[in-house]
Amino acid sequence: MNMKKSLLIAVGFVLILSTVLAGCGGKSAGGQGKTLIYGRGADSPQLDPALVTDGESFRVTENVMETLVEYKKKSMEVKPGLAKDWEQSDDGKTWTFHLREGIQFHDGTPFNAEAVVFNFERWMNQEMKPSKKDDFTYYASMFGGFKGDEGHIIESVKAVDEYTVQFQLKESQGPFLQNLAMSPFAIASPKAVKADPAEFAQHPVGTGPFKFKSWKKGDSITIVKNEDYWQEGLPKLDRVIFESIPDNSARFTALQSGDIDVMDGLNPDDAKRVEKNENLQLLKRPPNNVGYLAFNTEKEPFDNKKVRQAINHAVNKKGLIKSFYAGLAEPAKNPIPPSMWGYNEKVEPYEYDLDKAKQLLKEAGYEDGFKATFYAMPEPRPYMPDGKKIAEYIQADLKKIGIEVEIVSPEWQTYLEDTEQGKHEMALLGWTGDNGDPDNFLYVLLDQDNARVPAQNIAFYKNEQLHDILIKAQRETEQSKRAELYKKAQHIIHEDAPWVPLVYSTPSLAAQSYVKGYQPHPKGSDSLAEVDIEK
Amino acid sequence: MSTNTPTIQKEEQGTGPGTEPVDSPLRDNLRALLRHRSAMIGGGIILFFILIALIAPLLLPYGYNQIDPDARLQAPSGEHWFGTDDFGRDIFARVIYGARISLWVGFFAISGSIVVGSALGLIAGFYGGWRDTLISRLFDILLAFPAILLAIAIVAMLGPSLENAMYAIAIINVPTFGRLMRSRVLAVKQEDYVLAARAIGMKDRRILFSHILPNSWTPIMVQGTLGFATAVLEAAALGFIGMGAQPPEPEWGKMLSDSRAFIQSAPWTMVFPGLAIMLTVLGFNLLGDGLRDVFDPRMKQ
Repeated sequence: MNMKKSLLIAVGFVLILSTVLAGCGGKSAGGQGKTLIYGRGADSPQLDPALVTDGESFRVTENVMETLVEYKKKSMEVKPGLAKDWEQSDDGKTWTFHLREGIQFHDGTPFNAEAVVFNFERWMNQEMKPSKKDDFTYYASMFGGFKGDEGHIIESVKAVDEYTVQFQLKESQGPFLQNLAMSPFAIASPKAVKADPAEFAQHPVGTGPFKFKSWKKGDSITIVKNEDYWQEGLPKLDRVIFESIPDNSARFTALQSGDIDVMDGLNPDDAKRVEKNENLQLLKRPPNNVGYLAFNTEKEPFDNKKVRQAINHAVNKKGLIKSFYAGLAEPAKNPIPPSMWGYNEKVEPYEYDLDKAKQLLKEAGYEDGFKATFYAMPEPRPYMPDGKKIAEYIQADLKKIGIEVEIVSPEWQTYLEDTEQGKHEMALLGWTGDNGDPDNFLYVLLDQDNARVPAQNIAFYKNEQLHDILIKAQRETEQSKRAELYKKAQHIIHEDAPWVPLVYSTPSLAAQSYVKGYQPHPKGSDSLAEVDIEK
Repeated sequence: MSTNTPTIQKEEQGTGPGTEPVDSPLRDNLRALLRHRSAMIGGGIILFFILIALIAPLLLPYGYNQIDPDARLQAPSGEHWFGTDDFGRDIFARVIYGARISLWVGFFAISGSIVVGSALGLIAGFYGGWRDTLISRLFDILLAFPAILLAIAIVAMLGPSLENAMYAIAIINVPTFGRLMRSRVLAVKQEDYVLAARAIGMKDRRILFSHILPNSWTPIMVQGTLGFATAVLEAAALGFIGMGAQPPEPEWGKMLSDSRAFIQSAPWTMVFPGLAIMLTVLGFNLLGDGLRDVFDPRMKQ
């Protein structure tokens, strides 16, 4: 625990106070045109999407920069974006993209094949990092590493002519197209990046419907309408202000008093109040996430499968959902959400049964229980509105089977670092799908490749058989065959129980009823191009 | 108050066996205290909390950590006197167990700061010189920080837990008692009986413990009672920001913080722990004020 957290809390207090006190005041940010004020839980760390992995950054960059292909409005299916169409060769290794013509970056430079090549060259070259601290994390995890790495899947990216780009892959990759639609692979203006790569992360320049205007650190980010946007009639708003209000209840108060127009991270218990309020509307994000409890399988006694299974039997998921999700969630049994193809319906969940749990602990030789540390996230996440309370709930059940857990809750950045390093014994975490592919859950979160420090697989779960299946599924391009492989994978994971899959949640947002056309996207961040205000 | 004093003395003389012609000032003060209405109310509240904290487990049909998702956020009723929280836990049980925690933290934290603070104050006041400079500057440094910030910093260093919160509260209260003791000692040191004791060759240690300390401790006691109230508040504040009691301990401040989201939909989750904090603090403040009225010679006419 450190001073940062207490500072944050202090700031939170001030914000609560100020929102409560300012409740009676009107809109401060008046001015010309249609302005949408978007209340959210935290500021963006950086605005270069290639360097970040968090939703708060993508939420902004998605509206400023665009990708070659995009997801459809309500699903994770891919549709044309900056590329109007594409072809794949028969061996699956060559992809050719035809780009839209006549698009300009916000700085006036043209969007063309050279720009696309420049961006990919930048991400695959570690020397192009703006600083030592930064990393093109997502590029490495989606395309198997950087240039020169053994697993790196992109052989080359070439500009065939001004508006044609060709990717040559070393191996075919099932989720390749899905990956390209991810926010981190949005195309940046080469001129702006070359001018000052570090500055770019503070001032993104792309082709999107909105231009970056200003950023008050820790407070708000303003983006304004791109008058020359290539899609006719869009965007409908003139200005969007992303405002950070860390506390969920304070943010809701701000919405009720009309200080903000849209908020994400609605407390599930407030959902009913939104529905009852005529001036507000409830927006439900299609579920595409999993909240889980990971065991550090490298540490005793969690290296014992029976112990892990015992704890699986000791968690009352239905009770958790009733208490902390107000019913806006489903109990989980697999690491991927049920909306995703390849989900294995046949897996039999571990029932909540404390006697069975005790029995398994006895078989494992821990009849008298044991002590463990239990990491619980300090901030609300889409998949877990209140990690500390969920941990406290689980703590009470574990005590009944003799396991004493101490809940640890450092601030969010430390939390992520500690779990990446494997300092935890048990930890709560979750994942929102980025690209609609099971690979994005199973390989990223549970494959042995990702069990090295800094690990995404914070269970440090290693299983050769699973690894073979997951790699095979990656190379395969036919979806039905891949689905079969992923179903098999889920069986193995269920049996080994490196996690307690807790819930698939439906995160909810709330907006003023005059906000029109807001469609929450399953990937967790939303395009605001078609959003309008009709007062 | 003050007008009563002679009456008591008269009564005392009248009813006493006559073997003890001079009335003890302590007994005198005690009687005055018993007649001090607000002090008695304060004392009564504290006694009440101590009592329920002691016999809590005997009374309660529910454990403080008994979770029931089907009974969450229920309004106060015959079954759950204070309602239930979002875990479906009985708030009455939690508030009562919370009394144990708050009193425990207050008592040990304040005892700790009294012992350490008084010792340092005695040394500083009695010996003066470099010892005084050193100790007084140390107090100045501690007092330079706002108390709660200093407590947060200490807990941040030690790691968040109830015990560490207690240490932090003890540390931040040391200078208050230290300064008080020092100033008393400086005054008492000049008294004739101390000079007399010195003149007959009494050792420092004996002067300190049989003359100076007994004549300096009343303000400490008054301040201790008032400090108890602050300590309860500080413990709640630390609990509120997650740096004090850890789950599932039902500390009042933590209960408040945990139910922030329900202030509109289920206000009882905040009202009862809030009331408990308020009453305890009020109790100690009333008692402390009463003690000061009775013991402080300047308050008497």
